Parts: sequence; C-alpha cells; structure tokens
Amino acid sequence: VLVLVPSPLPRLRALLQRCWGRLERGLWPGVFGGQSPPWGPALAVQGPALIPQGISDTGTPSLLESVVWMAAPKQRRTIEVNRCRRRNPSKLIEIKRNIDVCPECGNLKQKHVLCGYCYAKVKEETRLIRMEIYKKEGGPFNAPAVETVVLYEGEKPTEKDEGKRIIERAKKRPSWFVQN
Amino acid sequence: MRLSVAAAISHGRVYRRFGLSPRSRLDLLRNLVTALVRHERIETPWARADEMRGYAERLIDYAKRGDKDERAMRMADFWLTEKDLIHKLFKVLAPRFQPHPGSYTRLLQIPNRDGLDRAKMAVIELKGNPLPPLVRPRRHSDKTLLNQLLKGYRQDAQRARG
Repeated sequence: VLVLVPSPLPRLRALLQRCWGRLERGLWPGVFGGQSPPWGPALAVQGPALIPQGISDTGTPSLLESVVWMAAPKQRRTIEVNRCRRRNPSKLIEIKRNIDVCPECGNLKQKHVLCGYCYAKVKEETRLIRMEIYKKEGGPFNAPAVETVVLYEGEKPTEKDEGKRIIERAKKRPSWFVQN
Repeated sequence: MRLSVAAAISHGRVYRRFGLSPRSRLDLLRNLVTALVRHERIETPWARADEMRGYAERLIDYAKRGDKDERAMRMADFWLTEKDLIHKLFKVLAPRFQPHPGSYTRLLQIPNRDGLDRAKMAVIELKGNPLPPLVRPRRHSDKTLLNQLLKGYRQDAQRARG
C-alpha cells in the first residue's frame, strides 16, 4: 500500500514518518484492535518449498540412531562379591534380645509388651462382662451416672459398693481377678 | 535465601496426621475419646491411642472444674458425641479422679494385630475401672537369693556404722 501524503509542514512529515516506522515494527499494538495489519505482501512469488534436509534419503533409520543409551553391568559379579553384599550385617535380620517368659502363664512375651495369652484371657472376660452390662442397660445410649462393680457367684456387695450398679456374673471368681 | 520450610521436613511437629484432613483427624480422635469414656478400656492402634490420651486427660481436667462451668460443658459437648456420656463424665469420672493430680489413663502395648497389616496395637484404659486388671502387680519376694544377699549387706553396713 503506497501512501502519498502531502507535506505542508516538515514537523508533520517527521511525525508521520515516526508513526509509520512504529507501525512497521509492531510497536503500536493498539491501532488495529489486536488484529493483524491489513497490508499484505506487494508481490506474491511462488518459490520452491525450502525443507531442511535433516532426514536421510534411506527409508529405515539405522540402529545406532534409534536406541536409548542405558546403564548395564559390564562384568558378572563373582560369588565372593555377592556373598559379601548379601551377608553384610546391615542386611541380616536383627536378633531380638528382649524376649522373656511370662511369670503367670509361662508363655514367651516381649519385655515391653503384654503377654498374649494373659491378655486374651482378660479380653474374653471383659467381653462377657460387657454382654451382661448390655443386657442390664437394655438398649444403646443408656450409660448410668453411677459407678459399676462386678460380683461373681456367691458374693455379696460390701459397704464400699453402696450406690454402685452391680453386674452379676454366673461364674466362680477367677484367681487373677482380685476383688478390691 | 530460602524463606519457607521444605515440604518434607517436620522437625518439632507434635501432632500426628490421621484421616483425610485435620477436621477428620479430630473426628477420629473424638470417636475414640467417646468410646473410652463409654467402655473404659479400648484396643486401638498405638499411634491413635497415644494421640488420644492427651485429649482424654485434658477433658477429665475440664470435667473436674464441675458441670456448672460453661467452658467445661462446651468441651464435654464437643468431645462426647453420645450425650448420655456427659452425665457419666461429670458424675462418675470427675469424682473418681478428684484426688489424683494427673495421669488418669494407662497405655499398654499388646502383640501386633492378627490381620495382614500386623499393626502395633495398644490398649488404653481409665484407671479405677471395674473391669478385670490387665497387669497383676508382682510382689517382690524377700526369699530370693539376691534379696537375701542385699539384706545381709545392709545389716553388715548398719553393724559397722553402729
């Protein structure tokens, strides 16, 4: 697009030249509302397509170009080296030295853990006591506002058990459940 | 200069992470506290029992203030989801622990869980509960060899001093 502008004043001409320069360089983005400027190439030439010749003319790429390089062992590890690695103390299972005998039942237990057998006995007894409690309460969310005491066969409530809810178990008192 | 802590460092953090979110962690612990107040002895993974222990003891400290106290009642209302246990807390547990200055719970480790995860389990119970005792107190006998030797040594030392 050729623009002929009459130049009445040299100042106006300089200004127009500056504006034109800015438009050409793209330093005035707000002019065409964000779209590309309406001018196109003055002369359209049909030239040969310039494609860079990167890919070789041979059809299949050779093996050395398509493989990904990865680490692999160079030599077979000998059995001596393997033994050293497998039997290193850090890889062996640690032996536990904190195993003792439970004085009550004679089973083995860890020093800082409760004996499994004795705990199973206590757990079973608490389960039966809780069944009795549930039967006495009748339904869910009926927790009483008084203490509870557990009495076995043939036991009478003492004066310490006044005002407490009594749970009866139809069994002889086990030797390990000492009455307070 | 690094102005923020890297995401994987947790130096000095005291609270463990449970559940899906902090709110879910509090709900989990709240359920455990409610169960403890109801049943007075529960069996859970060790980490949860350890975390819950502090909350349970602080709840009992609040309950010791009495049920006329507004803050104590609000705490009990939040922490106990089953509302009949609020009566139990103020009328049974608070008088029971009035003479004790602290440590109202007992935390003991039990053998690992039988399932596939073999989790470290613990049993947490309130002291003074009516259930059968978990650990029998061993009375140290005077008749063992070591105790007899020590007794002899003590008598000798007293005789030498006197």
